Amino acid sequence: MKMAFRARPLALTIFLLVAAQALVAHVGSPDVYYEGDAGPYHLFVTVRMPQVIPGVAEIQVRCESDGVRTIQVVPLRLTGPGSNLPPTPDLAQTSKDDPQFFTSSLWLMESGALQVRIMADGAKGKGELSVPVASFAQRTLPMQKPLAALLFCLMLLLTVGAISIVSAGAREGTLEPGETPESTNVRRSRVAMAVAIVMVLGLLYVGRSWWEIEETGYQQRVNFYKPPRAETTLEKGDRLVIRAKAEDPRWSQRINMGRVIPDHNHLMHLFLIARPAMDRMWHLHPEPVEGGAFADDLPSMPAGQYEVFADVVDERGFPWTLLGTTELPQINGKPIAGDDSSWVGAPLETQQASHTSQLPDGARMVWERGSGPLTSNVAMDFRFSVQDKDGKPAQDLEPYMGMAGHAEFVRSDFSVFAHVHPSGSVPMASLKLAQAGLMSDAPLMPAGMAMAASTQSGSLPAVISFPYGFPQAGEYRIFVQVKRAGQVETGVFDAHVE
Amino acid sequence: MANSIPLAQPIGIRAAHRTAWEMTAIRWYIWCCMLSVVFSVAGIEWDISWHKSIGRDSFWTPAHMMVYLSGALAGIACAYLILSTTFQKGSPLRDVSVSMWGFRGPLGAFICAWGGVAMIASAPFDNWWHSAYGLDVKILSPPHVLLALGMTGIRFGMLVLVLAEMNRAEGLYRAKLERMMFFAVVFVMWMTVGIVQEDTNRVFMHGSTFYMIVMFAAPIVVAMVARVSDNPWAATITTALFTAVHLALVWILPLFPAQPKLGPVYQHVTHLVPPDFPLLLIVPAVVFDLARRRIGTWGRWKQATALGAAFFGSFIAVQWPFANFLMSPASRNRIFATTNYPYAIPPTSPWVRNVFVPTEHNFGEFWVRMAIALAAAILMTRIGMAWGEWMRRIRR
Repeated sequence: MKMAFRARPLALTIFLLVAAQALVAHVGSPDVYYEGDAGPYHLFVTVRMPQVIPGVAEIQVRCESDGVRTIQVVPLRLTGPGSNLPPTPDLAQTSKDDPQFFTSSLWLMESGALQVRIMADGAKGKGELSVPVASFAQRTLPMQKPLAALLFCLMLLLTVGAISIVSAGAREGTLEPGETPESTNVRRSRVAMAVAIVMVLGLLYVGRSWWEIEETGYQQRVNFYKPPRAETTLEKGDRLVIRAKAEDPRWSQRINMGRVIPDHNHLMHLFLIARPAMDRMWHLHPEPVEGGAFADDLPSMPAGQYEVFADVVDERGFPWTLLGTTELPQINGKPIAGDDSSWVGAPLETQQASHTSQLPDGARMVWERGSGPLTSNVAMDFRFSVQDKDGKPAQDLEPYMGMAGHAEFVRSDFSVFAHVHPSGSVPMASLKLAQAGLMSDAPLMPAGMAMAASTQSGSLPAVISFPYGFPQAGEYRIFVQVKRAGQVETGVFDAHVE
Repeated sequence: MANSIPLAQPIGIRAAHRTAWEMTAIRWYIWCCMLSVVFSVAGIEWDISWHKSIGRDSFWTPAHMMVYLSGALAGIACAYLILSTTFQKGSPLRDVSVSMWGFRGPLGAFICAWGGVAMIASAPFDNWWHSAYGLDVKILSPPHVLLALGMTGIRFGMLVLVLAEMNRAEGLYRAKLERMMFFAVVFVMWMTVGIVQEDTNRVFMHGSTFYMIVMFAAPIVVAMVARVSDNPWAATITTALFTAVHLALVWILPLFPAQPKLGPVYQHVTHLVPPDFPLLLIVPAVVFDLARRRIGTWGRWKQATALGAAFFGSFIAVQWPFANFLMSPASRNRIFATTNYPYAIPPTSPWVRNVFVPTEHNFGEFWVRMAIALAAAILMTRIGMAWGEWMRRIRR
């Protein structure tokens, strides 16, 4: 394993670690990892997404090519009005310890499908790339007790102070110098105080109601972007129908499931993973049916409870993962064919790390991860080599849905699910939209797609890497899928993350 | 050689001059409060312009720091004034102070200190608000309202502080304090007229809502200052100062370069975007001053009716046609600055296309709202008169 990024400052890492505990939206992996070329420069980009929107994203760029002098970054919409009207870009700061490492902070003002455009300049000229990011508020921050106590005390001080000032002004404000208040002044003061109490309490009530309205509105925005529920029904014994059902009723009005866009050849990527041991996994591709639903004739599979993850990309380029759990009977269905794939094996082992996974016909897949511990919130290149039965690099790797490979990172409690490619965690459909807006004439190839292109004249390289970072500590299972000699094969690895 | 004359004067005369100067000098705490108010107006206008031109900010922008410095300055100065009045034996302010919680001090000092505490309290509240609900995309939020209440407190407190001294003073000192009072009222006017600037854009100037809003915001201050001051041109002077400060912002802010840091960027912005050209409130203020001379003996409600109607009528008479001018190519220059759009305004916006936006559905609704605007002008004039009469009686 190559550690592509060094750990961030300790305080920030701890903050992210703590914050990540509460994450559920987008299946717990909001940060974006991307590896690709900005003209002549190969870059590894990490976008640490803010917890609230509008908020500040942290951008890290590692240049894996020499000669880059400056990196500029700018956010803009992925599609539609404003996607071609960027503000003045920010100049990223060069690391004092590593001249190839750049960081910047970017404001993301809107929820939805955005992109971070990165412009590199150096000895080989200029180049740019665009990283699609899904921008959404993930949580509401509770107020810390010391701050709440401080603000409560200040509120009391201001409330009582305002009433007392009104009272003092009514009692003594118009008295001549040296004159003492008379009973009429005192009576007037009491009346003024009573009026002030009513007004201040009214103001506090209005303020509290307003705050609640703001809180509710914000929570609605948070809920809007929570993963929709995947409602599944089984028809005719083996036909699985999937419908999206969001918590927020406005979701179905705004997100048209009938107009999702293809993501490497398929409108939906469905993953069925056996609960709780993850000892069986299916990667299927349902087709759209009437009413915005998706359906697929299931292959043969044993009865049991399955976790459902269904990836789609809406027409604006925003990725959604439908989440659900389904109880299936024994299915006697069609054989696996086309881009569909399955895996059956050992259950997830906790506190264990596996480095090697057996493939059919005696081949194997090896995770080149080194001996160090795995740490959350650290961007890494996950490198896997495929070896034939003689232990030599496999010579029969082919593109699988246009990519050198696909990897799914799943936490043991299913709170994290990430579908990653050699180009990173961005959906290829969103990436296409992002690249359409670049100024460069030459079509840019993200990592993995370029490798796929090279297969026109031969096999893909036997080593595949996936840029990603675990969002939180825990036990993970990693499914790595490649295609060899026309067959999709799956290597499975378990990881303990600290 | 000019300075040889005072040196030749007897020591007694020089001492007498110094004493006279000291007696008529504006007190330090009034200067502190005035400086605080200037900081708050400049800071807020700078911040609004920052949002229009650059877009991105943080808690630590210079504009924000200027606003919070304003609160700190007023709070500290008035706290010191209250403590010194309370604990310093023989304090000259003791007999002209009010008591509260065992402390003594001028009423305006308590109000200013309250405003300072409110502004400072809004800082951690606002910072938490940003981290909980995201950075600001709108002006009105609970922490911003607390900040606005604090700023209002400082401005109103300063006005009370000045008026208490002015109402006790005579001669040169009173004249000096009256000048300070005019500036204090200008900044109070900023809280009423200035705060509705989003709703007084030129695109709304041929709609009844615009006139309703202005009539709720402006006549109250004009009527108040006319009641407080003995100057027959008090309303005119105050409104002229308000317009002059506003024009200074319109002409000075664009001298500073700025670039948008947020997108989408619909307008090419190269400098700080200033506020819109000021409303022509100076004309109804002149009419107000002229009219009140003739009707000074009338009953208060009759005066309010006549003055409110005069203010409303004269404002429509000048602002309505002036709106046509602001929409025309003739206004697109540095003087009237009608091409200074915030970066985020799309080219399809009525503002950019220079077209009026109707704010009512039909003619009947228009006239009903205009009638409400007239009623508002009269009512707010009457309230302003009562407010001014109370302010005139303030002694402490």
